[in-house]
Amino acid sequence: MTATMTVTPQTTPSPSPGSTRRRNGRRRREGLTGWLFMLPFAVLFVFVFLIPIIVSVQSSMFAQVPAGDGLYGGGELEDRFVGFDNFVTAASSGAFWVGMGRVVLYAAFQIPVMIVGALALALLLDSFLVRRPGLFRMAYFLPYAIPGVIAAMIWLYLYTPEVSPFMPFLPEGTDLMAPGTMLLSMANMTTWTYTGYNMLIFLAALQAVPRELYEAARLDGATGWQIATRIKIPLVRNAALLAVLLSIIGTIQLFNEPVVMESANSWMGLDYTPMMLTYNSLMGTVSPSGTGIASAYSLLMAVIAGVLAIVYALVQRRKGDV
Amino acid sequence: MSTATPTRADRRAAARAASAADLPPRTLRPSPTAKGFGMVALVAAAVYFLAPVLWVLVAATKNNRDLTNSFGFWFAEWNLGANYDSLMGWTQGMFWRWVGNSIFYSLSAGVIGTLFAVMAGYAIAKFAFPGKKLAVGVIMAGLLLPVAILTVPLYVEFHAMGLTDTAWAVIIPSAVSPFGVFLGMVYAQASVPDELLEAARIDGAGEARIFFTIVLRLLAPAMVTIFLFIFVATWNNFLLPLMMLSSADLKPVTLGLFGMVSYFAPDKGAVMLGALLGVVPLIVLFFSLQRYWRSGLAAGAVKG
Amino acid sequence: MTSRKRFARSAIAVTVTAISAFGLAACSAGSGADESAAEGPVEIAYLHRLPDGEGMTPVSEIVERWNEEHPDIRVTATKFDGAASDMILKLETDVKAGSAPCLAQVGYSEVPQLYVKGLLEDVAGEAEQYAGDFSAGAYGMMKVGDAVVGLPQDTGPLVYFYNEAEFEKLGLDVPATLADVTADSAVAAAAGKYVTAFTPDEALNWLSAQSAAAGDTWFSTEGDAWSVDAEGEGSQAVSAFWQQLLDTKQTLATERWGEAFTKALNDGALIGHIGAAWEAGFLLDSLDGTPAEGQWRVAQLPDFGAGEMTGPDGGSGVAVTKGCEHPAEAMEFNAWFNTQIDDLASQGLVVAAAGTPETSEKMLRQFGGQDVLAELATASANLSPTFSYAPGFASLTKMNETAAEVVAGSAEVADIFATGQSSAVAALEDLGLPVAE
Repeated sequence: MTATMTVTPQTTPSPSPGSTRRRNGRRRREGLTGWLFMLPFAVLFVFVFLIPIIVSVQSSMFAQVPAGDGLYGGGELEDRFVGFDNFVTAASSGAFWVGMGRVVLYAAFQIPVMIVGALALALLLDSFLVRRPGLFRMAYFLPYAIPGVIAAMIWLYLYTPEVSPFMPFLPEGTDLMAPGTMLLSMANMTTWTYTGYNMLIFLAALQAVPRELYEAARLDGATGWQIATRIKIPLVRNAALLAVLLSIIGTIQLFNEPVVMESANSWMGLDYTPMMLTYNSLMGTVSPSGTGIASAYSLLMAVIAGVLAIVYALVQRRKGDV
Repeated sequence: MSTATPTRADRRAAARAASAADLPPRTLRPSPTAKGFGMVALVAAAVYFLAPVLWVLVAATKNNRDLTNSFGFWFAEWNLGANYDSLMGWTQGMFWRWVGNSIFYSLSAGVIGTLFAVMAGYAIAKFAFPGKKLAVGVIMAGLLLPVAILTVPLYVEFHAMGLTDTAWAVIIPSAVSPFGVFLGMVYAQASVPDELLEAARIDGAGEARIFFTIVLRLLAPAMVTIFLFIFVATWNNFLLPLMMLSSADLKPVTLGLFGMVSYFAPDKGAVMLGALLGVVPLIVLFFSLQRYWRSGLAAGAVKG
Repeated sequence: MTSRKRFARSAIAVTVTAISAFGLAACSAGSGADESAAEGPVEIAYLHRLPDGEGMTPVSEIVERWNEEHPDIRVTATKFDGAASDMILKLETDVKAGSAPCLAQVGYSEVPQLYVKGLLEDVAGEAEQYAGDFSAGAYGMMKVGDAVVGLPQDTGPLVYFYNEAEFEKLGLDVPATLADVTADSAVAAAAGKYVTAFTPDEALNWLSAQSAAAGDTWFSTEGDAWSVDAEGEGSQAVSAFWQQLLDTKQTLATERWGEAFTKALNDGALIGHIGAAWEAGFLLDSLDGTPAEGQWRVAQLPDFGAGEMTGPDGGSGVAVTKGCEHPAEAMEFNAWFNTQIDDLASQGLVVAAAGTPETSEKMLRQFGGQDVLAELATASANLSPTFSYAPGFASLTKMNETAAEVVAGSAEVADIFATGQSSAVAALEDLGLPVAE
């Protein structure tokens, strides 16, 4: 890395704005410097994202069909080009859209609760209520450190009446893993895991704000509430936008939680969320299966996530402009 | 990395900023009522986040029977030793080696990934270069993709390069964080003033030197966030090492734990103990990073 | 500021050292193995997912013994830590990439599917000489049409587990027929106990095995096409039996792998269970040290209407994967490994090889001194000779969903088999295989 950096040409300021040749030279040098800074990431990105994506797109155009005849199709599969057939199958799959509906419903209440909660905690920690906010920060962030599948297992136990330490205190007959409550229960799992993480992002944004700003506002007679709503929240707008975007993308891919819950609630099925459907298509445990259809599902999911994210960003931008 | 030695004034400023975090200026202290309500909310939230962890702590000392037959938040027959033995038995004595592997993968991916991501983010935020729009678009699209699905083509690719069943097969994919670039870009736009860069250039500093001595310092809070993000994502990733690694020597701890869980009737107390011991390094890391959050705070104060 | 710098520097130092140490170790290990494969002994990789738990003879130890005795065929065993379906994905990817282990553990119900996918090698020629070492039924599970893809390892015949002390207390005899189970259920229910559990999460394998025990064959051939019959007379008998128990609430309707099952077992509400033979290895673990320890026994599955016959619920074999360079040597090890019956039994397996391994101390203790493995071997011998799987069987998990609806009261047991029928036909069609209407 250091070697790369030392060959970076120095950009000298151009004192005479009239000279176009010098400006061009400067622009070229700036472009080169920019690319040199981009390079290490760009190289890895090509290997880890671009090539596999291209492979995925390619595989979504193929179906695996038996190479021969007979009961076992000759004991060999071959790839057959099917164009956009896999996408047609994916887009007309009832299970896919039902799963997508669940995920959207889930996102519609889980994300706001989590973001508002995280913001509230960040504001509280940033308002000098406690002398050592570090301990609280740790406590809220701790769940994020627990691997997703393990966290889901823990909650599965906590929702199981026979094991749960708090279910005995709930009204008799409460079922936290019934068709009507499952989404809420999973929303709680996600909220538990990611609230602290989002809080940390907000807190980082808040703490980058010079304190003198608040002191000045205070001297002008602003209350703590006004400081929070008029100064701090607008300042973390970008961070909040980012957090919501990432949550939307993450939720579309909801996987660990439903997989673990399904292991104890077979009524959910292997296609409860689109990501589960995709994975199980790949695994051959739902039908139709195969890498082609699985790639088609995942590309469709990426498109939907992209559309949702762009719509959200546009709506936010318009609001921000007003 | 940095060649500038901190002056005494620097240090004094940092100390002042650090103490400011502990003791708020009189004008910013909340009213007693606000403080009361705030404390209740903070403590309630702490209970919500910690109770399941406490349950795991207790569960790690129990046998399978007591897990279903005794109160969850209190200890029953002390079975910690047996659970530890069972954990070691299941992992054939490899448990701590696997924890070490996890630390190594997460640390390497975190350090490499953070550096590359802020470099790229800084480039996007502060330089005009050809193809920038396209690069940003492609990276952001990478953010949208269900990454797990890429694991299979990734395996085929890494196999072709002869990298499967090596540490690189886990570290390289984990170190690529489009989110890190995004965050680095946002932070660089917000907290690296153009005037500062211009001033440094006028002083004759090279781009590399400007980046490593000035920019990295300003981006510290973003870097800690990105580092944590990559570290934890690497630590928690299951599918990637599952596909990429086959030698027992190279496995991360999550694989071993999931291996235990995926059998019939696992020794749940041992699984809980494993989960708990597997999280300890992360907790230690977070505690030690606390201080750097504070220095990030100081950086923000200096900037103002 | 200084502290951050120190952190950055030390972190980088640690990383660099670590990368070089681990990276080099990994590289040298990799290249070393490759070189020896080129000249020295034949290298066979074997991917398994046996538990290798506490107190078991680890696979690596068994393999080590082989390697000492056979310097010309070096076997490396690797334990796969994920679920069975993850392992299939891994195999599929490995075969495509040309890096598959020669030998891999596969479930019987998955064998036809994997063969269709082109992941398994036909080793009928090599397998033939070892056929005599294994029970005929289990050997048949590794056959796909005329091809043989490996050797069987363990079997999962359905058997009946029951608490002898509780049965005596209630004046119950061990049920010999389905009618007996129904009668026992009524008596036990009056005392607040259950002699069976209905487990929706196991519906696919568990109910199809019962259907087999009742004499049904789900998959047969009509000319050159598959014929599916998941709703035959046997399935109807099984449906009627469970429907009656569920309607009268005389069976414990709960997930097999949920905590409610363990809880019922622990507090003595569940005193009988129709389960797979391999459950003997851990079913009673949570009763250790309680008064119920040593009270349970295992018996043959009650007569489901086809005499002394039981059905296959699980079990797996070790198959040779496509592209294996040394199938003969791989099969030589395969045959040896799967006849190490005492070691395999220590892993909790009901071995497919001929001979009865010695019942372990643990089983003797948990089953009151009963020779459990002899009983299970009898069950293994009684496996339905006609029931076999077809490609796509693993994707019939929709049956589990319907079974969960049955427990919730929104479907009938017969619907589970109807789901099985329609999903099986759909799965075969999706695979592009011929299905007779």
